[in-house]
Amino acid sequence: MLALLLAVLSPVLWLLGMSLKTEVDALAMPPRVLFSPTLANYTGLLETRFLRPLANSVIVASITTLLSLGLGVPAAYALSRGRLRRGGGIGFWILFTRMAPPIAFAIPFFLAYRTLGWLDTLGGLIVVYLTFNLSLVIWLMRAFFDAIPPSLEEAAYIDGASVGRALLAVVLPVAAPGVAATAILCFLNAWNDFFFALVLTRSSAMTAPVAIVNFMHYAGWDWGRITAGSIIVALPVLVFAWPVRRYLVSGLAAGAVKG
Amino acid sequence: MVVLALVTLGPLLYLFVTSLTPLDLTRPRSFRFVGLDNYRDLLADGRFWNSVQVQARLSAATVTAQLGLGLGLALLLNRPLPLRELIRTAFIVPLVLPPIIVAIVWKILFTPLLTPLNLLTMPLGLAQPPWLTDPDLALWTIVVADIWEWTPFTTLILLAALQMLPAEPLEAARVDGASAWQLFLRIVLPLLRPALVVAGLFRLIDSFKAFPLVFVMTGGGPGVATEPTNYYAYTQAFGHTVIGYSSAMIVFMLAVVTALSVVALRLPGLQPDVE
Repeated sequence: MLALLLAVLSPVLWLLGMSLKTEVDALAMPPRVLFSPTLANYTGLLETRFLRPLANSVIVASITTLLSLGLGVPAAYALSRGRLRRGGGIGFWILFTRMAPPIAFAIPFFLAYRTLGWLDTLGGLIVVYLTFNLSLVIWLMRAFFDAIPPSLEEAAYIDGASVGRALLAVVLPVAAPGVAATAILCFLNAWNDFFFALVLTRSSAMTAPVAIVNFMHYAGWDWGRITAGSIIVALPVLVFAWPVRRYLVSGLAAGAVKG
Repeated sequence: MVVLALVTLGPLLYLFVTSLTPLDLTRPRSFRFVGLDNYRDLLADGRFWNSVQVQARLSAATVTAQLGLGLGLALLLNRPLPLRELIRTAFIVPLVLPPIIVAIVWKILFTPLLTPLNLLTMPLGLAQPPWLTDPDLALWTIVVADIWEWTPFTTLILLAALQMLPAEPLEAARVDGASAWQLFLRIVLPLLRPALVVAGLFRLIDSFKAFPLVFVMTGGGPGVATEPTNYYAYTQAFGHTVIGYSSAMIVFMLAVVTALSVVALRLPGLQPDVE
């Protein structure tokens, strides 16, 4: 089992190894399995403008997550408790936006942003990421709310609480683990995006994944920086994946599969 | 709900409208109604049909392999193991990695001057084939990368289904002296069928989006040998600014996705039915 695991993960381990090699070691033939590791590629990254795209990625992913939760959680609550409970149309629409190829959204957003002057802005990217993250929040949070018995907030209503107050003070604390998992999945979705950032940004709003690919195209084949940048972008994902491992299936399948 | 409609329904309607125009960003006044001209051109476009064919081969190969390997891996991981939680999670690393990183990893592994495959071939005196630039091999490099990236997805779904299998039919068959192979073939596999269908359908729909792999590894080449419809639409819209024509291509893709989503929505989900 461990041998199989090692084989499956070997491509990533090779990437990690390459990021710690000097250029001579990286291009040595036959390839070197043993080498003296160096952090030169990582310090070299700091000299390029990689920090800016990295910061952009953090900002865009964080704000998108907050916005999606702020808009999506009340909507999910309404769907779970309201008369729309059996809203098959909305369910279909959410599944559909999850399945539609990103380019279907990229073209209209590109045209609209071109007119509005939103191309290459962080705000523009944040709005685009709502297309998939808002659906995800509504879908996942509805399932979490469904699992909470309505009798819980009915007690609050008897005490004279408004719907908003009941949601904030009574339901959300109970649903906190669900909110946290949903937030992480939203963040990872935005963090992992390559396509929208490629199409809708040029330089000032460029995110880390696009910056890495640019090392490939414009700076020749700068494998040291490409691999070091890749590891930096992959690390937070690997850290965050652990707490949400149970929700990965429902997150990826947008709830169509009960994970 | 209004925001969701605004950011999803609005753009798709706009996409449909542009698909009825010859919109080209380099030509002024090209945003005018021409009816179904783009769709007629599409039917006569050899490169479009090539892209459909590339997509069909890519999807067929990857989905089949992901279901087979995912089932095998799920069965392995369903047995008692030390550190089971950690090992299971380690197996899904390819799934959670940013897709662009996956693409870079496999670009390195299939670049003859960089690949550790040389460790195997050099002692034998063999050279690496030009994996990414050989028209017969390039698509298979993407297939391999896609299988690696997404097999954990089918594994997770099938593992969840395995854990929900009712114990009674298995016990009864064991008492009757069925072999492990008979148990698997006659009881486990039929019970897993709904999960296999769900996993396969999701992978099929998502296989239309293998953009980062194509973009980084082959760029659709050599020629158009690895250019799926999604990528052809991308090059037309953002490489050549032919937005109208590209939109028609995407509307076509959306129609296929819609049909498949309708099927997906009617599936009973993960509840296995015992016949």
